[in-house]
Amino acid sequence: MSYLTALVLVVGFGVPLATLMASLAQSRVGAAAVEGIARQPEAAGRLQLAMIIALAFIESLVIYALLIFFILMGRLPNTADVLSKVTGH
Amino acid sequence: MHAEAASPLAAEHGSWLHFLYALGVPRWVDEAVLDCWLLILVIAALTYLATRRLTLLPKSAQNLLELVVEQLEGFTVQTMGPEGRTFAPFIGTLFLYIFLMNVFGLIPGFLSPTANLNTTVALALCVMVSTQYHGIRTKGLWGYLKHLWGEPRFLGPLMLLIHLIEEFLARPLSLAIRLFGNIFGEDTVIAQLGGMVVLTALVGVFSFLSLGLFTFGIQVLIIVFALFTGFVQALIFATLAAVYVAGAIEEH
Repeated sequence: MSYLTALVLVVGFGVPLATLMASLAQSRVGAAAVEGIARQPEAAGRLQLAMIIALAFIESLVIYALLIFFILMGRLPNTADVLSKVTGH
Repeated sequence: MHAEAASPLAAEHGSWLHFLYALGVPRWVDEAVLDCWLLILVIAALTYLATRRLTLLPKSAQNLLELVVEQLEGFTVQTMGPEGRTFAPFIGTLFLYIFLMNVFGLIPGFLSPTANLNTTVALALCVMVSTQYHGIRTKGLWGYLKHLWGEPRFLGPLMLLIHLIEEFLARPLSLAIRLFGNIFGEDTVIAQLGGMVVLTALVGVFSFLSLGLFTFGIQVLIIVFALFTGFVQALIFATLAAVYVAGAIEEH
């Protein structure tokens, strides 16, 4: 597998893989928070705050992957150049 | 069509403050710093105007500011405990400043200073220095090192190493990159959508009327969502700063 093929695969699959696990984790946080609010509606404000903070923590891990995506996307070659090299004109 | 720069991380657009460079501001002052200065001027002017005649029964602007200060102080005490009241200015300033910086870039023609990694690293360094200073101030240098040594005494060296790496590397980096990634990513999405609207307009009138307006509608919705994201990220930063400082000054 050539370098550019591997690079394109990594650029494509980086963020989606991170999003897969992050969405599972965030769904657990959301479910626990909603259940807590259902048990004790008067604690809804604090539970909502804690839920938002936990969601932002998990989301920041995906943001790290997004940063790597931006950096690697800058190293991808220009499509026009690649096409002209492949087709010869 | 070469619509983007070589790397999206290097893609910058000027703001309306670009004329200041022609007026003589040196080029090594980044555009983000100019936007920071403008924001500081605006905040200072607004708060000065609102607090000129402090009355016991406040009216409109003073009322709003009192509400903001009360909420921030309550939030700090809620996170740090009652002895955290002295840190309310620091945490409150962090939250307010970061929130306004995040939202500043959504105004057409301005840049978010937090969309620049330098700003967020500076803010994270402020938090790190504050944590170390308050920890050493409350406990003394030896007491603080014992605090980092941890409770199972025989695990001390390992815990000290982990805590040192955490305090000086992992925590500031994660604070900075979290804030930068969120705001920069959001702004990039908004900019790319705007670029797509222009592309559809360049293709033709029909394409603009169908695809372009739809994309523009999505861009407006994402701008509204970016307000929420800016607020949440400022809240996260301030909460984490409060938690870190509280962890440094806590007594077991």
